[in-house]
Amino acid sequence: MLSRRDFLKSSTLIALAPTVPGFLARTARAAAPQRDGRVLVVLQLDGGNDGINTVVPFNDEGYAKYRKTLRLAKERLVKADGKVGLHPSLGEFGKLLEKGQLAVVQGVGYPNPNRSHFESMKIWHSARLDPEERTGLGWLGRALDEGPRISDGSSASLLIGGGPPPPAIRGRRAVASALERPEEFALDAGADPRRAIGKDDPADDLSAFVRRSMLDAYGTADRLAQISRAKDDGARYPGSELGNRLQLVARLLKAGLGTRVFYTLQGGYDTHSAQIFTHSNLLFDMNSAVKAFLDDMAASKLADRVTVLMFSEFGRTVKENGSAGTDHGTSGPVFLAGAPVKGGVVGTAQSLLDLDPKHGDLRVGIDFRRIYAAVLEDWLGLPAKTALGGTFERLPLFRA
Amino acid sequence: MNKTLQRKPARVEGPWAPYAPDDKAPWDLRRVVHLHRRGGFAATWAELQRDLKDGPKASLDRVLEGKARSEGVPENFEATARLLADAAAGSRDPARLKAWWVYRMLFGPDALTERLVLMWHNHFATSNLKVNDLSAMRRQNEIFREHARAPFAKLLNATVRDPALLLWLDAQVNRKGHPNENLGRELMELFTLGIGHYTEKDVKEAARALTGWTVVDEAFTDVPVRHDDGEKTILGRQGHWKGADLVKLLLEHPATANRLAFRLCELFMGEGTVDAAAVKALADGLRERDLDIGWAVGTMLRSRAFFAEANLGRRVVGPVEYVIGSARALELFEPPSSTLVLAEWMARLGQDLFYPPNVGGWPGGRTWLTTRALIGRANCAAALVDGARVGRPGPMDALALARRHGHGKDGADLITFCTKLLVGVEPSVAWRERLDKALGKEAAGADGARKAVALVLAMPEAQLA
Repeated sequence: MLSRRDFLKSSTLIALAPTVPGFLARTARAAAPQRDGRVLVVLQLDGGNDGINTVVPFNDEGYAKYRKTLRLAKERLVKADGKVGLHPSLGEFGKLLEKGQLAVVQGVGYPNPNRSHFESMKIWHSARLDPEERTGLGWLGRALDEGPRISDGSSASLLIGGGPPPPAIRGRRAVASALERPEEFALDAGADPRRAIGKDDPADDLSAFVRRSMLDAYGTADRLAQISRAKDDGARYPGSELGNRLQLVARLLKAGLGTRVFYTLQGGYDTHSAQIFTHSNLLFDMNSAVKAFLDDMAASKLADRVTVLMFSEFGRTVKENGSAGTDHGTSGPVFLAGAPVKGGVVGTAQSLLDLDPKHGDLRVGIDFRRIYAAVLEDWLGLPAKTALGGTFERLPLFRA
Repeated sequence: MNKTLQRKPARVEGPWAPYAPDDKAPWDLRRVVHLHRRGGFAATWAELQRDLKDGPKASLDRVLEGKARSEGVPENFEATARLLADAAAGSRDPARLKAWWVYRMLFGPDALTERLVLMWHNHFATSNLKVNDLSAMRRQNEIFREHARAPFAKLLNATVRDPALLLWLDAQVNRKGHPNENLGRELMELFTLGIGHYTEKDVKEAARALTGWTVVDEAFTDVPVRHDDGEKTILGRQGHWKGADLVKLLLEHPATANRLAFRLCELFMGEGTVDAAAVKALADGLRERDLDIGWAVGTMLRSRAFFAEANLGRRVVGPVEYVIGSARALELFEPPSSTLVLAEWMARLGQDLFYPPNVGGWPGGRTWLTTRALIGRANCAAALVDGARVGRPGPMDALALARRHGHGKDGADLITFCTKLLVGVEPSVAWRERLDKALGKEAAGADGARKAVALVLAMPEAQLA
């Protein structure tokens, strides 16, 4: 059987480079990571994350005033800067912050906050405030429409999880798909189809393309199988759903998939009652899964190609409710993690005493589209204007 | 325009002239298989042998009349299909609507029409992801079927006045003073003219012309108070255009025939097998005949170009064709595969019925052959012969199938049968060597025979038709 390595060494591959599936061609030329090799992983914290107890304004007198049962003791917080500390479950995020690989953007939202999960999520996905402009397409999908074709023919974006691709990654042209079962990348055929591909290189380009694509596909299947047997280069993923999903993203990246945006969800943030325990577990899971993922990327020499964006549709109410929980709020923090990120606490914590008189909750400090603009232009190298329906000043979130 | 309408359409010459077998393009098994894989969803051994014997005219007549299937068509097909559609549309389960269409493609008498329905589903690519209404999706699918081969005006007018497309392209928010360009743009870019034949100004004006068209109580409704009755200039023509006028302008525009010719070539012709002159000739023919799709379909399938050596094995088989065609050729009729499961396989291979990836449809061609889809095809082939993984009670008896048709006395004979049935040719020496190597000495037994079938289906040659 012609192994992937043999295949890559073969001179015909180089000769045929223009028609070769992109990933193989890139590998064959041993090119340095290109701009279109940059990958974004989006983690949607579903349900409305309590930003106040995630990035805690311990110095704000309002914190003690409004958070009676949910108040986190200052000495347990993970150090961030002089004014805020991270939730005690975010120890690994604290280390990333120290290493300068985590940006904590505070007070992110949009004008006239909508407190419906559904409506607010639509705004975050579409990057459009006017409901009539929300036509099912998303900020990433639109941006990917304007980008180059995905070199190896993979879908431009991929939801890791059940259900259809979310609006954020849907475009007019760029293909978004969903992957729930990693088995879809595993060969499960009776007789080994690799042996039936044949070495005879037919003269015509189309047949040659089919053969090469098959070699590439089965090679990827083999690599994924190997990668799955290996111990993820020492990364320790939590056994949670989120851990599994990020582990799958890592494996797909290591196997060389050309997809540029991976999208996944962590549910459960809608903590209307008995919040303290649930919230702590959720953040700990996120903290551990993202840490394992970044370790895995670093060990695989992929750290320079990947960043992780974490957002939620809104924060929660400043004042806790009567059942030791919080209700749907307004602005909240957004995290961006990875080696290419310019780390630090960005923006200012919104005051818990000087609330927005319109709705009696946190003011909005930073428009979420400024983060999107930075992610699109400075990271993915995609034009942001059409994607966001306007020009937004990019937050400096990436190393030059 | 009037001049061409008055003239009697010219006889077709050149590549679209009728095919007549000769030494360079004989009527052989390869061309019979080619006809069914391109103009339908493959064929059974008996159907292939029948057509080989009857010659091109009888075979083509049958394909075009929707009578090519002699096997695996239940007597009560239409009644059953209707029941399935009603039940699916009344449910909240999109999987059932997919299964209904798979039932139509797998068991219906008229494979060519289903191929055309699939083409129109791709042309007017509408996804239930946003429409979220199974009745509407079913209705649109029936419109595609009803007008699959009609003059294009009928199809276009029915489709743009139907809830599925209007909801999909935001017609309900397009109103006087608040134009939404979605429907207007796609009407021009995708459904008629194609990019480059209109300006951004045209799109804006088209959106204004379409104001008033909306969906009320699940039905198309033209609401005059929502309509912007002002003057518009569209494609250089001035008037107080309404939606109906816009559709008429687009149908009269010469570029529309080009776009339809492109679509039909995408369906019936191999990659790079038709040159610009041939596409133009087809488009000219369409223009002279009121954009009569039926004429174009018949002309193309009967043509020299279609049966030319250069057009054989030059088109990447799509996921739906792959799944249905394999099940048909292998006679997996009784007991049948689960149509629900077959629809899931299609989705895994990249073609989720009623859920095209976006308004542009499935890009098709080489883009079908992604890593995931190719792994999926090998797995799907194994699943089809294995039975359980496509919802059949037991594995298929590939050896019995071959023997029933006079093959399968040994491993080599079985492999010959597989490649002739599925691809239309005897295996070359190199090809046979590859299969022998992959199968070892197993091919002669029942299990080996199944593996041989799956292997042939997973080979590079089987991905092209």
